[in-house]
Amino acid sequence: MKKMVGSLFLTVMIILATILTGCSGKDVSASSKGKVVVDFWTFWGSETRRPVIDKIVNDFNNSQDKIIVKHTFIPWGDIWTKNLAAVAAGNPADVVINDINSVSQRAENNQVEDLSAYIKANTFKEQFYTNLWDTVLYKGKPYAVPFTTDTRLLFYNKDAFKDAGLDPNKPPTTWKELEKVAQKLDKKQGEKYTRIGYYPLFGGFGAPSWLKNADDGMGFVEDGKLKIDTPKKVKALKWLVDWQNRYGDKTIQTYEAEFSNGQTNPFIAGKVALYTDVGTFYTQIRDSGTKMNFGVTTMPAFDEKSKPWSDGGGFVAEVPKGAKHPKEAMQFIKYLTGEKAQKYWAEKNYDNVANKKAAETVMQGLTGDAKVVYQEAVKSLQYTTLSPVPIHYPDYQNRINPFIDRAMKGKMSPDEALEKAEKDVEKMKQ
Amino acid sequence: MRLAGSLERKKKFSFKNLLVFLILLVGSMVLLTPLCWMILTSLKSPQEIMQYPPPFLPQKFHFSNYLEAWKTGNFTRWSLNTLLIAVMNTIGNVLVNSFVAYGFAKIRFKGRNVLFILVLSTMLLPGFVTMIPQYILFSKLGWVNTYLPLIVPAFLGSAFNIFLLRQFMMTIPNEIAEAAIMDGANHFRIWWTITMPLIKPALITVAIFSFTGAWNDLLGPLLYLSDENLYTLQLGLQTFKGSVQTQWNYLMAMSVMVLIPTILIFFIFQRYFIKGANVSAGMKG
Amino acid sequence: MEKGTVSQVDTGLTQMALNRERTKVPVRFVSQLNWKQNVTGYVFVLPWIIGFLCLTAGPLLFSLYASFTDYNITSKMNFIGLENYKRMFTMDDMFWTSLWNTIYYVVFSVPLTTIGAIFVAVLLNQKVKGMRIFRTIFYLPAILSGVAVYFLWMQLLSPSTGLVNQFLHIFGIEGPSWLFDPNWTKPALILMKLWGVGGGMLLYLGRMQGIAPSLYEAADLDGANSLEKFFHITLPMITPIIFFDVVTSTIGSFQIFQEAYVMTQNGEGGPSNSLLFYNLHMWNNAFKSFDMGYASAMAWFLFGIIMVLTFINLKAGRKWVYYEGGDGK
Repeated sequence: MKKMVGSLFLTVMIILATILTGCSGKDVSASSKGKVVVDFWTFWGSETRRPVIDKIVNDFNNSQDKIIVKHTFIPWGDIWTKNLAAVAAGNPADVVINDINSVSQRAENNQVEDLSAYIKANTFKEQFYTNLWDTVLYKGKPYAVPFTTDTRLLFYNKDAFKDAGLDPNKPPTTWKELEKVAQKLDKKQGEKYTRIGYYPLFGGFGAPSWLKNADDGMGFVEDGKLKIDTPKKVKALKWLVDWQNRYGDKTIQTYEAEFSNGQTNPFIAGKVALYTDVGTFYTQIRDSGTKMNFGVTTMPAFDEKSKPWSDGGGFVAEVPKGAKHPKEAMQFIKYLTGEKAQKYWAEKNYDNVANKKAAETVMQGLTGDAKVVYQEAVKSLQYTTLSPVPIHYPDYQNRINPFIDRAMKGKMSPDEALEKAEKDVEKMKQ
Repeated sequence: MRLAGSLERKKKFSFKNLLVFLILLVGSMVLLTPLCWMILTSLKSPQEIMQYPPPFLPQKFHFSNYLEAWKTGNFTRWSLNTLLIAVMNTIGNVLVNSFVAYGFAKIRFKGRNVLFILVLSTMLLPGFVTMIPQYILFSKLGWVNTYLPLIVPAFLGSAFNIFLLRQFMMTIPNEIAEAAIMDGANHFRIWWTITMPLIKPALITVAIFSFTGAWNDLLGPLLYLSDENLYTLQLGLQTFKGSVQTQWNYLMAMSVMVLIPTILIFFIFQRYFIKGANVSAGMKG
Repeated sequence: MEKGTVSQVDTGLTQMALNRERTKVPVRFVSQLNWKQNVTGYVFVLPWIIGFLCLTAGPLLFSLYASFTDYNITSKMNFIGLENYKRMFTMDDMFWTSLWNTIYYVVFSVPLTTIGAIFVAVLLNQKVKGMRIFRTIFYLPAILSGVAVYFLWMQLLSPSTGLVNQFLHIFGIEGPSWLFDPNWTKPALILMKLWGVGGGMLLYLGRMQGIAPSLYEAADLDGANSLEKFFHITLPMITPIIFFDVVTSTIGSFQIFQEAYVMTQNGEGGPSNSLLFYNLHMWNNAFKSFDMGYASAMAWFLFGIIMVLTFINLKAGRKWVYYEGGDGK
């Protein structure tokens, strides 16, 4: 009995201790020493990005004495869920870094604050690339500010080009050229491919990206109208199916499985000679220690008359709905997307930033391969379209994919697949 | 009632035991492969990890990965935090769930079966549809950014553990308990002095499950903690997972380190899993 | 006390079965006892009741109501009746795909892991050298959790360089592309689940420790061999745990989510949606399309399915589960 009382007492003491320590973490979101504390959530915790964002935050804090920005790391991928829960409960952060393509979706669902009240100057938006600013608008009002962006480029192995008798300074510019070049770069050992010249669906371009590229940069939904079943898109899908049939299911699956875990990369490993990826892929090549000579160019155009349309994404800084200090939050966001901070970010992280001036200044400071890749990226940005989530068909991608999948597996003709896909998406209109 | 013929059994045993030993050995090697791979990856350089085909052994053993990884975040603090949460969870789960399970297993009260089905049914609903309403609830209580949402539920019973302990308690014959009641003991005494010792392996199991569950929990701390000083180890591990690239060597190194306490707990506690120590027929004094 | 209990330790199951007879108690005692019993019973169960009422019931009922609305978490919650359910059954192909994927997984993983866990527990219950280390090794996979494990497995399952296929190669078998071959993705996950069989093993081991050695010794006297001892003593005695394992494994397997979420690109459900499990489809609806009302409807439908299955398990359980302490009726 004594033992029981003793252990119960111990338990109570521990519980008390816990509650005390638990409470010590309480956020002092009210002004501390007269300063306003702005909660800033990002997913940048790695040893490369953390110091950069921390310095930007520190610089801001030191540059004025009314606001203190508190930066908290929330894990990548989970940050959206946590942000959502916090908004639902009414106690979100003041500034959050979020995905650019879903800004209008969040705006529609009342998850972000309208920032137009805090942007007095009309010239504010001119700092940024137009396509980026357009993506943060919902019903004509800005709900976020672009921070970084990216674009997909075509990386190619110059050494492999030389070996195959191709000019390493003349990468393919059209789909036809790409096909020819890729086939020259295939390497086979009996029945097995030891190197694939190029496969359009490896890397940063998926079927939707190619279909968009063929259709003059027009996505599946344009101005609220469905543009899934268009002649150019059908042609593109047929083209993709041909690639798949040429190499065969098994080869493609093996390749995909080998490189799916993200640790090794097929281009760096020399298993493909051309590869699609974002501009920052350059840092992976640089850090891998490979001796390969590589080149980079914009994505190929559908034909001589088309443009090299590419896919883009990016991140924005936004103020979640219900944030306690939107005005101060906006002040910080203005600094974050201003030339100084953006230039620093671009320099240290080799990211494409949204601020045009910053991007151009940084480019001048780069040398060698870094400069080449950055230049191509900036060039590609002109033809980069983003893929904002359409309000009335938020689930559209998930509904289209199974049909594309069936076409790729030969279970359905490309015409039929896109036709049915458009019908299916129309069914689920919200 | 000790048996003769044990000499005979010894001879049989050595052949059967050898077979068992071999199977266990092969099984162990198979099971340890992923762990081996994890440790080897944690000792490689980033370049080696990116190589294809991936080398089995690293050229040099980069033990510095462990040190570097530890320095990246506030891992010391995070370890203590996680330890606190895990210990509290274990205490709560073991005490409260055995208490509640006793009620279901040994006391015939009105509405018991219906209530038990209700308990079971709480396990049936996928967690994340109640995740947001629960978060809002805790938020209204002011418990967000504290450890309370992560610890208090352990003191309010969990269906899984209640079910588990109830099953174990129902394997104990009632004669001993009934004799104790005749002697004037009440149910609390029986619970504490008779039943608990008899289901020690089950309690240890609940303790181990509880500790490792809390130790490895990601969703709870992720949702409810917004102050990096309060973070737990699993949450801290995510610093290596990037939007562009993941730092595999550090991630694996820290994953190995995070693993060690749970292995220790298991190794220590399993000495209670001794054959015949808790005979349901109550042979012990 | 000891004398009375020793008499139970007899050979043969029949003796044990006979012990289920309850002793009768005088009638006037009964009503007093009953009232006291009821109160005591509820006192014991009180912590759970408090937790349920305060923390669980509210959110549960909320999500039930949400399933009849167009709730999107942050801006609207209008009652729309059975719209969500209708949509689920008639307009959402992926609903059926996800249901099929999940049932496939449950049907294979539950029996395999249960039998596997029992088998391993029996092995680890022998008096063999190094038992403590073996037990730790076998339990290890169950406590190895987190994203790192999934990525490890993705590497192990790589078609040409992964250790799984290299191992199969030794026997001349050419392994499939596992996680990228739609026909092999689910078996890959079941394989992963079997690797973690140590968790369940612990339960059985714990129960086996509590079986009186004298039972086995008596069986030895009768000349029983190992198999007979297992089937006539061990197995019946662990039926309460098998019951627990089957019920909780079924419930757990129906809710598989984490693996598919991490191991498929963007949580999209893998090649040809072969890994689009029910919970993953629900998650995408809830957090990608913000259609929480629809997700709640899906959740409660799953609740219904598992409830029915659990009921069946409970009823069937009365037939084959043996409780040494009587089933408390």
